[in-house]
Amino acid sequence: MDLVSIQHPGGITEVSLDGRLNMVTAARVREAIHEAIVANSPNVAVDLSRTSFLDSSGLGALVWGFKAAREAGGDLRLVSPTEQVKLVLDLTNMNSTLRSFDSLDEAYPRG
Amino acid sequence: MADMVARTLRITAPPDDVDSVHQALESVWAVVPDLEPRDRMSIETAVIELTANVIQYANRGRAVSFALTIVVYDDRVEATLSDSGEVDDVGLHSRGMPDAMAESGRGIPMIQALVDSVEHRRVEGFNHWTLVRAREAARDSVTPARGMPSVSISGVIDEMSRQRALEELGILDTPPEERFDRVTRLATQLFGVSGSAINLIDRDRQWSKSMVGSFPSEVPRSQSACAITIETDQTLIVPDLSQWEGHEHIGIPGEFEFYAGHPLYAPGGERIGSFCVFDASPRHFSEREVAMLRDLASWVQQELSVSQELSRAAEVQQGLLPQQLLSMPGWDIAGMCLPARAVGGDFYDWYPVGEGAAFTLADTMGKGIGSAIIAATVRAVLRSAARFGDVTGAVDAAAAALTGDLDSTGVFVTLFHARLDMDTGEVTYVDAGHGLTFIAKQSGEVRRLRSTAPPLGIDIETEWVAQTESLEAGDALVSVSDGVLDLYAGVEEALESVTSIVMLAESAEEIVDAMRARARGVAPDDVTVLVVRRDAA
Repeated sequence: MDLVSIQHPGGITEVSLDGRLNMVTAARVREAIHEAIVANSPNVAVDLSRTSFLDSSGLGALVWGFKAAREAGGDLRLVSPTEQVKLVLDLTNMNSTLRSFDSLDEAYPRG
Repeated sequence: MADMVARTLRITAPPDDVDSVHQALESVWAVVPDLEPRDRMSIETAVIELTANVIQYANRGRAVSFALTIVVYDDRVEATLSDSGEVDDVGLHSRGMPDAMAESGRGIPMIQALVDSVEHRRVEGFNHWTLVRAREAARDSVTPARGMPSVSISGVIDEMSRQRALEELGILDTPPEERFDRVTRLATQLFGVSGSAINLIDRDRQWSKSMVGSFPSEVPRSQSACAITIETDQTLIVPDLSQWEGHEHIGIPGEFEFYAGHPLYAPGGERIGSFCVFDASPRHFSEREVAMLRDLASWVQQELSVSQELSRAAEVQQGLLPQQLLSMPGWDIAGMCLPARAVGGDFYDWYPVGEGAAFTLADTMGKGIGSAIIAATVRAVLRSAARFGDVTGAVDAAAAALTGDLDSTGVFVTLFHARLDMDTGEVTYVDAGHGLTFIAKQSGEVRRLRSTAPPLGIDIETEWVAQTESLEAGDALVSVSDGVLDLYAGVEEALESVTSIVMLAESAEEIVDAMRARARGVAPDDVTVLVVRRDAA
């Protein structure tokens, strides 16, 4: 899995995950979210447009990130999840907690 | 039944992890393009969750191996996972989704939501998990099949019996043998190809017993063409590996472009490997060549059976060594026999006679099956003769009975045969050309016993003369075969070593163990040791 963090104006960190988010990669994702919150701001967008697979360990990492962001006074929102990721969010009833948006702008509207 | 696609994957984690399962699943999806994305995602997610659970919990975090079989029917998909984990309950109980803020605990509820049935059985130390999902297209018309046995589970059980048969053959990781190498050499010449191999399919690898060609003797099973050959009884011919549908990844351009293989069987009929020829470029394989390949494969097959028979013979021969300890208060007896090959021409023996026991150590000229047959005969003749006379009488009767056999085979036998009176410690013996028996005194003094006669089979007119020695408290009588001398620079060094071993050891068994440690893996000849030790006062 390739992981890229980009800091956008307005204090939003976009973390893009290219590949599978599972028990092998969950720890790295947690670290990246933690770093974004500590180094930049507590508003995190996780770009899942190239995340081919999400399992329960990966979902656990996102929940962990969501809680960390909220505690720091921010939020964690998902951007363009793939079909399989949507399936998992749907099955686990996590849609209302981990909210998905079609683009970064929709996740964190500027203005 | 309608169309069906089945694949079995073998995983060992670590080093494999769930990513290995993903990659394997991708190769399955590639051959079933009509499988609906929803079905594919659901079964993949469920399989990954199950795999992750097995990796984490089935062996309490230690390495675990498992076989995963995916069967795609036209109305459903079945996944069967069989693991050797010691934990028999990974907790597939319905628990419902945890709280939204929980970071774990969703795996099992997800599996239950993704498939139509989840089953677990524990059979003979293996966990078998079966997930069944009805395909979207058939969802309205068909009730998903539930229950056992399914095709996938029988496939897994076949694989297990196959593996067991291969292991029983005892051939894996043995050194190259000329009797196999000559067949692969001949095959490359006969067919004019760049290589030939005798490949055995062991769990997740292919191991080559013999190989002509520039490939490693071990490759992953997923890269093995022979692993495909063993799926049926047919000769598998792939004229151009780059065009091999579903297995395009197996060929190597410019190195491995043609393959022809015929299955090899274990004695019970299990397909354990394949005899194959291959070439660096695509080629045609004629009917005549197919017939020749089968002939060569049956030759290899014969050699494999010989291996099996040899290991049986070895078991039989070890069974002829005395199994029972002699009950002789104040005395301690031990022996060992390490044949250089599967079977050998040495043996030792003991049995109670009167107020004591008879002991034999014999060495038949040569190694291997021929000498093993003679050794078994010598043992039997001597045992029956010993019932009727003293030491000389026994050896005389045995020699007379064996004369014809030894003459016609041109073999001779060296022999140490003794009687011990357990009360007095008196040892009466005949040494027929053996000369490798010592008495080690507790004081550190060691004496080699004189040979009293030529070996059996040399001279039928021999008169057998008995000698007498006496064993005192703490003394040990040690008789060895000449294979023991090969472990040392000469008789003197051997004598010194045996002396110090005897002085340091506290029991006959310890003396034997010390010699065994010395001989293991380095002995070019059969190594046999017999120790009779009188307890220290």
